[in-house]
Amino acid sequence: MISRTLSTVVAMSVGLLVLADFFISADPIDALGLYLIRTASVVAAFALVLGMVNVLTVHLGKMYGREKGWGYSMVLLGALFFTLAVGFLTGGPTSVWVQDLFETVLFPLEATLFSLLAFFIVTAAYRAFRVKSFETGLFVVFGILVLLGQVPVGAMLWDQLPVIRDWVLDVPALAGARGILLGVALGSVATGLRVLLGLDRPYVD
Amino acid sequence: MNETQLILLVFLLAFLPVFYLSGRRVQEGHVPDLRSILAFNMLQGVTARAIETGRAVHVSLGLGGITSDMTADSLAGLSVLEYLADQSAAAGETPIVTMADPTLLPLVQDVIRRPYGADRDEAAQAARRVRWVAPEPAAYAAGVMGTLGVEAVDANVMIGGFGDEYLLMGEAANRRKIVHIGGASDPNVVPFVFATADQTLMGEDMYAAGAYLGHKPWHIGSLLAQDFMRWCVVTVIVILVVANTLL
Repeated sequence: MISRTLSTVVAMSVGLLVLADFFISADPIDALGLYLIRTASVVAAFALVLGMVNVLTVHLGKMYGREKGWGYSMVLLGALFFTLAVGFLTGGPTSVWVQDLFETVLFPLEATLFSLLAFFIVTAAYRAFRVKSFETGLFVVFGILVLLGQVPVGAMLWDQLPVIRDWVLDVPALAGARGILLGVALGSVATGLRVLLGLDRPYVD
Repeated sequence: MNETQLILLVFLLAFLPVFYLSGRRVQEGHVPDLRSILAFNMLQGVTARAIETGRAVHVSLGLGGITSDMTADSLAGLSVLEYLADQSAAAGETPIVTMADPTLLPLVQDVIRRPYGADRDEAAQAARRVRWVAPEPAAYAAGVMGTLGVEAVDANVMIGGFGDEYLLMGEAANRRKIVHIGGASDPNVVPFVFATADQTLMGEDMYAAGAYLGHKPWHIGSLLAQDFMRWCVVTVIVILVVANTLL
């Protein structure tokens, strides 16, 4: 009970102080706000260690229990320890060896994975473009208009297509996006207020 | 204080009393009828289906943590997870939870452990289903795609802060023909959710999880306050547009 009350008081006080720092420009509050934000960064860095312990626990458990896909876990842990060893032995994350590891292994792998997005967009668009209702019908019509307006052949077919594309993107699409953003902003403020006022306490057990 | 700060302060000061009064009203028993949101209806059947098939529910909380601008999205995902964890605890079929930001890890483990109360062994067993995958979007997507491919998963719930990598994970779920419920607040990600998920939570719908699934009074009060403030903002926009046009 005491820990619940204490954690709520700490969370509310810190939240309100950082919020006050956003609105009020005074040296003591600025310094305190900066200190609290820096402290949060340090705590977040420790969370990375927790994450690594979690990776070890999950994948060692998979290997120990010979669960489906345990071979992948072995590769993952091997890569983890290899990268850690290279980092420790060659002078940390800024060393040439670690940079090479990132540039020759991680970045190409990431680029490869993201290049799949092009194909995935095509299959997703194929599914989304099946007309099942009035809304999906509108979606398809505007999708085709924007696609045609985007490519040179569209302008060759009809010179008004790029103009229609610009109108679709600048008026209905932008209005829809702003509507979503307005709702998101209101939802975020309400979520923040619940946490700040201690009405929603995801941090207590 | 600059102009933006002043507008935000006025907005916050206007929001506070509306928020408080709405919450109090709901606490006193004036609970409004909430419109039906299909994604929440589907979420209510996900655990039962998973228990019947003997397969797990996978919950992805995305890239957000609790120290970034995606915090509200992460908390919305946690509300959904809380509901699924409570439901599944009785049958001992804990959801598999993945995330990219390790700051979310202790919170998620707490949410998963909570339904087991004093039963520490069961709680520890359940907490092992929580997995931090990787902090990079591509690596996280690859990890989630692997989980969906290797584990026996019956439903995929993706609610939180996402970027373009959502499509990689959404398509992986779609190819496996499993139930897929997605939610995102970023307008650039919403089309990916729409194209891949069976049911979607777009924008602010995500933040209503506590009201729809948990029936928490202050969450329902928040919805009332949000609706009221939305009408106010829309009215101000219309008045300004008219004034700007005429004057």
